[in-house]
Amino acid sequence: MSDTTLPFRNPTSETVLARRSLIALAVLGMALLVGAPLLMVFAEALAKGLGAALESLGNRDARAAIQLTLIITAIALPLNAMFGIAAAWFITKFDFRGKAFLITLIDLPFSVSPVVAGLCIVLMFGANSLIGGWLVAHGLPIVFALPGIVLATLFVTFPFVARELIPVMIEQGRAEEEAALTLGASGWRVFRTVTLPNIRWALLYGVLLCNARAMGEFGAVAVVSGKIRGQTATMPITIEMLYNEYLSVAAFSMAALLTALALLTLLLKTLLELRHADALAATRRH
Amino acid sequence: MHIEIDEITKAFGATAALHPVSLAIPSGALVALLGPSGSGKTTLLRILGGLEFATAGRVLFDGQDATGLSVQDRRAGFVFQSYALFRHMTVFDNIAYGLTARPRASRPPKPEIARRVTRLLELIQLPEIGSRFPSQLSGGQRQRVALARALAIEPRMLLLDEPFGALDAKVRKELRQGLRDIHDETGLTTIFVTHDQEEAMELADLVVVMSMGRIEQVGKPQDIRARPATPFVRDFLNA
Amino acid sequence: MRPLIHRSPMPGLGLSMGITLTMLTIVVLLPIGALLVKGATFGPGNVWEVVNRERVWAALFLSFRLSLLAALFNLVFGVLLAWVLVRYPFPGRRLLDAAVDLPFALPTAVAGIALTALYAPNGLFGGLAKEVGLKIAYTQWGIFLALVFVGLPFVTRTVQPVIEEIDREVEEASATLGATRFTTLRRIILPMLAPAALTGFALSLARAVGEYGSVIFIAGNIPLVTEIAPLLIVIQLEEFNYDAAAAIGIAMLTLSFAMLLAINLIQIWSRRRIGHV
Repeated sequence: MSDTTLPFRNPTSETVLARRSLIALAVLGMALLVGAPLLMVFAEALAKGLGAALESLGNRDARAAIQLTLIITAIALPLNAMFGIAAAWFITKFDFRGKAFLITLIDLPFSVSPVVAGLCIVLMFGANSLIGGWLVAHGLPIVFALPGIVLATLFVTFPFVARELIPVMIEQGRAEEEAALTLGASGWRVFRTVTLPNIRWALLYGVLLCNARAMGEFGAVAVVSGKIRGQTATMPITIEMLYNEYLSVAAFSMAALLTALALLTLLLKTLLELRHADALAATRRH
Repeated sequence: MHIEIDEITKAFGATAALHPVSLAIPSGALVALLGPSGSGKTTLLRILGGLEFATAGRVLFDGQDATGLSVQDRRAGFVFQSYALFRHMTVFDNIAYGLTARPRASRPPKPEIARRVTRLLELIQLPEIGSRFPSQLSGGQRQRVALARALAIEPRMLLLDEPFGALDAKVRKELRQGLRDIHDETGLTTIFVTHDQEEAMELADLVVVMSMGRIEQVGKPQDIRARPATPFVRDFLNA
Repeated sequence: MRPLIHRSPMPGLGLSMGITLTMLTIVVLLPIGALLVKGATFGPGNVWEVVNRERVWAALFLSFRLSLLAALFNLVFGVLLAWVLVRYPFPGRRLLDAAVDLPFALPTAVAGIALTALYAPNGLFGGLAKEVGLKIAYTQWGIFLALVFVGLPFVTRTVQPVIEEIDREVEEASATLGATRFTTLRRIILPMLAPAALTGFALSLARAVGEYGSVIFIAGNIPLVTEIAPLLIVIQLEEFNYDAAAAIGIAMLTLSFAMLLAINLIQIWSRRRIGHV
């Protein structure tokens, strides 16, 4: 047998034909399921030209919706980051009974339908509830107003930051913080100079995921917002209203704006995974 | 089975892992491939097992060309360094795997498989552990199960990659004798890879010292110790 | 008995515990509690009466059935995708890998209108489907498609790290024992991936059952045929019928918790079987 005709076949790999077919299937499936809708958003937005698309984004209600979404995100993100850091610190730096149960409770919003989440907030803080009624009487309505939308956004994004931080902080242990304490550093100083540098990329990662969901949340916000044009209509809610009024270009232009943000999020996320894989949760390491 | 390695070379890209290597292994021998890491000993073992293909050269089993024979058709009992037990299967299912994975036509009936597995469990002196999972075994037990699994296919030869590498010194000594016993009982041509010269000298009938992809010396342990053929062998044995 | 909280020299116990429990209570526990209290004051009998109507059963069953089908599709396609992404180097692999997360990043309303525009009878794919006599948008096919979209990343992302960790020697061992590649895939690889794949499947299912935004645009929302359970809640709320909304909400919450329990049981089971997850 001559050495060039050896049928080299790696015993832990599939045949070239099988490999190619599987790759083709994966690419085709992704193109149909994910690629096509993505292109569709931009195609529909630009159906009547760039000018029409930009014009639809420039009108008063559209600008109000963009502004509202930015305000909500600007409130929800820091609150969520604060919660995530506090929860991760509490869970990883202390030993207490019921820790597993607490983690389950923090994860709970992931398994609750956004619509049910919105419903819960309406029942808790709506005008006919005990607390809601009192708040409305004192001039601070929650539901059908900004605070309700923020609460709904907080609910659906609740576990994002904590979930990223907890595995990273478990892995890093407590030794570095303990060392800093023995050197006489104050609690805040330990957090700022020892913990924060260790978790910053995971924190950024969690905030990024949280941001994407906060800007795009629809179901929970739809229930609590009341959909008042120019006042409580966020970008996704405005998309729905425009779409139902058959204002396709306007609806898709706003959708394109959110899609661009989603793509930016993915880009940043990929960069984070490439550059700082070792500082992110272990499950994502490639 | 008599094994003949004829001018085998192996290159990974531009780097040569094996320069032309030739070696004849008599039937029923217990052979150690001895050398430091990077000497090509594991590559040679994997070529014999059909897990790598040589860039050039031939492998002959009992005079028959086996160079292009697929790994499935070689019937080489291979014991991996990590043991590579299937962790989702019981010990019984692990050992039976080589039989149950056969196409229906050549698969032995269930009672026959059970009989063979029981016999192998007795051979490795662990008759009670059939229903356990690999995660419930000690390192030494895992190694013996891996050996039994390799024997279940009634292999034509036994190839072991650093079979004692992951074990502590006491278990090592016990299992060395275990391998010797199994070799003597089955009469299989057995080749194992090691970097531990004491292990090679104590266990093998024939020691093959390798370095940098070349065979430095082949001989009986006492001959190699008495007359090292190259400066490398002398240094390696003295280390 | 173990103390409730072990003494520790770590600073910030009061602050971190305070923030955690306060926010958890205000954002999650009180609102969910309000739903349960509403159900209790409305009365279990009345809750049952609301849920036990043809339209509600039809919606709950539709949501669950199509979610199950979509999760099954995602199970198969997700494992395939994960395998291709980990094992086969090909041009564009990084891009494909990043694209897997798009359904997570894209707002559901955007996905909803985009899928509708594509699969409506006058859309690009919808038109092709009409040629062969298949209507996708405004039918259960449309809902299935939207649920596949939102659940797409779960299985791939849970299975990928497991494939990366598979010891090549295990696959080689199977081959040396005479198994064909197909047998190795079926009897060695798939069982090793099963626990992670099942977890991803359950996550995908849980997500789909509660999904609203991407579905309502493409569903058509015809009672008994293409009306999903979350939409019923929205309809009741628009009529200010809080009791009925709460009743359906409790039914959905129960479904979600049952699935959460199932996920945890799967993980415990696989941990026990294999020694670790």
